[in-house]
Amino acid sequence: MRLGLGAKFTLTVLFILAGTTAANTLYDLNASARFHEQQLIERGRALGRLISLVSPEAILGFDFLELNNYTREVCAQPDVVYGVITSPEGAALSSYIDGSDPLIKKLLDRTGSRDTLELLQNLDGQDGLISLQFPITHDGKLLGHFLVGLSRQALQNEFNRQLTIKIQVLTAVVLFLSVAIYAVFRFNVLQPIQRLIAASRNVGRGQHAVVEVKSSDELGLLARAFNTMAEGIKQEQAKLHRQANFDTLTGLPNRLMAFDRIEMEISRAKRSGERFAVLFIDLDDFKSVNDSLGHAVGDRLLVGIGARVQAVMRDADTVARLAGDEFLVLASDVVSEAQVERIAERLLGAVAEPQDLNGRKIVAHCSIGIALYPDNGENAETLVANADNAMYQAKTTQQQGTATFFTEEMNTRLRNRVQMEQDLRVAIELGQLTLNFQPIVDTAGRRHRGAEVLLRWNHPERGAISPAEFIPVAEADGQIVEIGDWVLEQACRYWSAWRASGIDSGFLAINISRIQFRRRFSARLAELMSIHGVPPEALELEITESVLLDDHRQVAEELGSLRAVGVKLSLDDFGTGYSSLSYLKRFRFDALKIDRSFVAGVPDDPDDVLLVKAILAMAEGFGLKVVAEGVENQDQLSFVTTQGCDLAQGYLFSKPMTDEAYLGYLKNLQTGVEPLQRPGPKNLKVAD
Amino acid sequence: MRIQSIGGPARRRGKVLLLLGSIAFTAAASAVQAAEDRLILGVFPRYKATQTTTMYAPLADYLSERLGRKVVLVTSKDFDSFWEGVTERRYDVVHYNQYQYIRSARTYRVIAHSQEFGKDAVAGALYVRRDSGITEVSQLRGRTIIFGGGRDAMLSYIAPLYLLMQAGLKEGDFRTEIAVNPPNALLALYHKQADAAGGGDILIDLPVVKNAIDTRELRVLAATEPLLFLPWAVKRVMPAKLRLSIQAILVDLERSEPGRNVLKAAATTKIGKAADADYDPHRKMTTAVFGREAAAK
Repeated sequence: MRLGLGAKFTLTVLFILAGTTAANTLYDLNASARFHEQQLIERGRALGRLISLVSPEAILGFDFLELNNYTREVCAQPDVVYGVITSPEGAALSSYIDGSDPLIKKLLDRTGSRDTLELLQNLDGQDGLISLQFPITHDGKLLGHFLVGLSRQALQNEFNRQLTIKIQVLTAVVLFLSVAIYAVFRFNVLQPIQRLIAASRNVGRGQHAVVEVKSSDELGLLARAFNTMAEGIKQEQAKLHRQANFDTLTGLPNRLMAFDRIEMEISRAKRSGERFAVLFIDLDDFKSVNDSLGHAVGDRLLVGIGARVQAVMRDADTVARLAGDEFLVLASDVVSEAQVERIAERLLGAVAEPQDLNGRKIVAHCSIGIALYPDNGENAETLVANADNAMYQAKTTQQQGTATFFTEEMNTRLRNRVQMEQDLRVAIELGQLTLNFQPIVDTAGRRHRGAEVLLRWNHPERGAISPAEFIPVAEADGQIVEIGDWVLEQACRYWSAWRASGIDSGFLAINISRIQFRRRFSARLAELMSIHGVPPEALELEITESVLLDDHRQVAEELGSLRAVGVKLSLDDFGTGYSSLSYLKRFRFDALKIDRSFVAGVPDDPDDVLLVKAILAMAEGFGLKVVAEGVENQDQLSFVTTQGCDLAQGYLFSKPMTDEAYLGYLKNLQTGVEPLQRPGPKNLKVAD
Repeated sequence: MRIQSIGGPARRRGKVLLLLGSIAFTAAASAVQAAEDRLILGVFPRYKATQTTTMYAPLADYLSERLGRKVVLVTSKDFDSFWEGVTERRYDVVHYNQYQYIRSARTYRVIAHSQEFGKDAVAGALYVRRDSGITEVSQLRGRTIIFGGGRDAMLSYIAPLYLLMQAGLKEGDFRTEIAVNPPNALLALYHKQADAAGGGDILIDLPVVKNAIDTRELRVLAATEPLLFLPWAVKRVMPAKLRLSIQAILVDLERSEPGRNVLKAAATTKIGKAADADYDPHRKMTTAVFGREAAAK
């Protein structure tokens, strides 16, 4: 049973009150009983002295009738149960015993004896009896004794009666006081506390509450303190609400509030039958701004974009910043996709508006994904996810400032992508990933120089999956770090094993992802080389230009670390990306790899011929070796050879091989047997 | 009716009271003398004065009515003062014990006797406890014997002493104790304050005794011949006509309702005629106990 504060307090007071009053009452009653017993004894003594005084005359005159009168009169007194006059020898001369007294009656019934002296002996020491004895003398001579027995029964009865009355009175007093105390306690303590409890609950529910201060006592102080606290909580809640629901940088609603607004909009739209649009905005290459101009500039850019986006939207619409460079626009009450397209165009324009930051004109672009309610989802999560998906698709168009409506196909792709992520997560453990090797030869003597390591995923259901399909997925969810590490270790392991078998496999060119590169890759590489005893000249790391887009200082440091390890570095897929000559100037590479798309057009396509020649000339200028990828025929080989290309790889020499096939290929080389040259599947790389 | 008290204890206060009583008595006697038709009825202080008045005032009134003369009841606070009244012949009609009559027989003539407890005569007796082992009077030699009422008590002292003497014991052969009245002598015996007690043979049956002790523990050791009960006497100088009238009135009490009420008030069964010779047995015992001279004094 749960007792309230009032009940506990009242019970405590009641117990204390009852205890103290009971103790006091018992003390008083006992004192009173002792007093009355003393009075009784005094009365007995008075009787005794009187009888002792008058008895000698009767004793000396043998007036037993008078003695009988004395004892009878004595016994007629209240509380006297017997009066006996004995001779000096103890023989009873006169006695009167009240046989109706309960104690004596009980004794008589028990013993059955009528002998006075025996009866007195049995009565001696009884709790309920006070026995007094007085000598009867005359002229100094002992004539006998007067024995008187006084019953405590009346005292006990009176004690019990008083006790009963006092208990009743005290019970009434205690109950009255308890009720009174409880009433006072309830009015002065419980009610203020209950008001505080109610106010606390309101505060707990997020409602602002103020307790009326009615007194200046401790509870009044508590109420004041509560009000101060409630005000503090209110301010803190407002602050927390702002922090929880608004982006501190731009002041725009954050993801949480954006979702709330979308849910509210869904509720409203359900009732009104209206449609609305969720536009997911992601800035293109915002990272480069941060990296090149600093985070402070990036933040100011975001603030400016947020303000401009908000400026082009209606007041009823919501503009939120979800995270980083992601914004979300909730456009209410749209009637058509055309209207949404116009909104998207306004947004693209607003974002692309040049912004003056630190004296520089910055032009940002964004990709926009659009999801419509109820067409593309009936809840906030789905709508935002689909808009995000559409935005992702917009980014894949490689065209800046694109807006894309969500389609179901995107969803399918997304599901496939998620499934692929999950499958990829266990691919290493299940042994589904393998390495292939495509030889690299020198163009002059067609001598074997090494091989590019190519990753293969043999899916149990879908069969061989292209690296072009799963590598972006692995990079997107970060699995590329683990996979890349596995590739690197496997490559070291193979090379070490081949060397241990006495086979010179040449170098192994391994593609390194941009994501791997960010994780202090050089330290791990050095560790693996040390473990497997792989010399630096046995490895060549292929990185793409995208790696160089990251933080230049960090990239430079990492490249410096790799150089310290001693491995060679080649710039992969040169010509397909930024192809910034400044990269070649800033970072030292050992080689360039001409992308297969350029090699494929030589020697017939004048543009490709021109481009390949330019790359080769530039490489020569920087002192870099050049590797031509995708050499599939003799004409291509002849062209690149005559233009000064150092190395080549492609189907003309060998398709990518399994480790076993590559081992056989190497063994044949050592025994002088020419490898087969026949067309194979298009080679795929670890990194794009 | 006028009730007067006469007293005279030996102590100083008693003497004062006696003096005051004498003065009062003298005054009363003078008044009686002045009114010659008044008769004085004296009753020995067997009971307290108040009780005596309650018991015998109806008789005085009855006699007054029947005689046509005022009869005044006079009580005494003790035997001494009463006996003084007897010796001075203050009472015209007197009711006392047998020994007192024998001693006053020269001046008073017995005319009737009381019958109490339905008996005209009561024997003097010696009592012992049943557990005392005493079966013969002679065994009382050297023992303590208690008597009730004083040395002039006929049934409680003289008669038992006569029995002792008949058994060959005389004063000095046993220790004598005197209780204030006969019942207390039996109570003292019961409480082992004495080895034997003297008293009338009806004593053991008196309610006052039976209520106080278990009389079954006592028994009569020896008893005299029955002795006529308490006498009613008149002055020998009283005219015969008046004496006979008083005798007739007393004897006839039981025959009328008012008379029976008088008897009832006096705790007397009846009053019968008596003559001086009826008290010869008493006289014989008294003489044996006290000697002829003491008995006739």
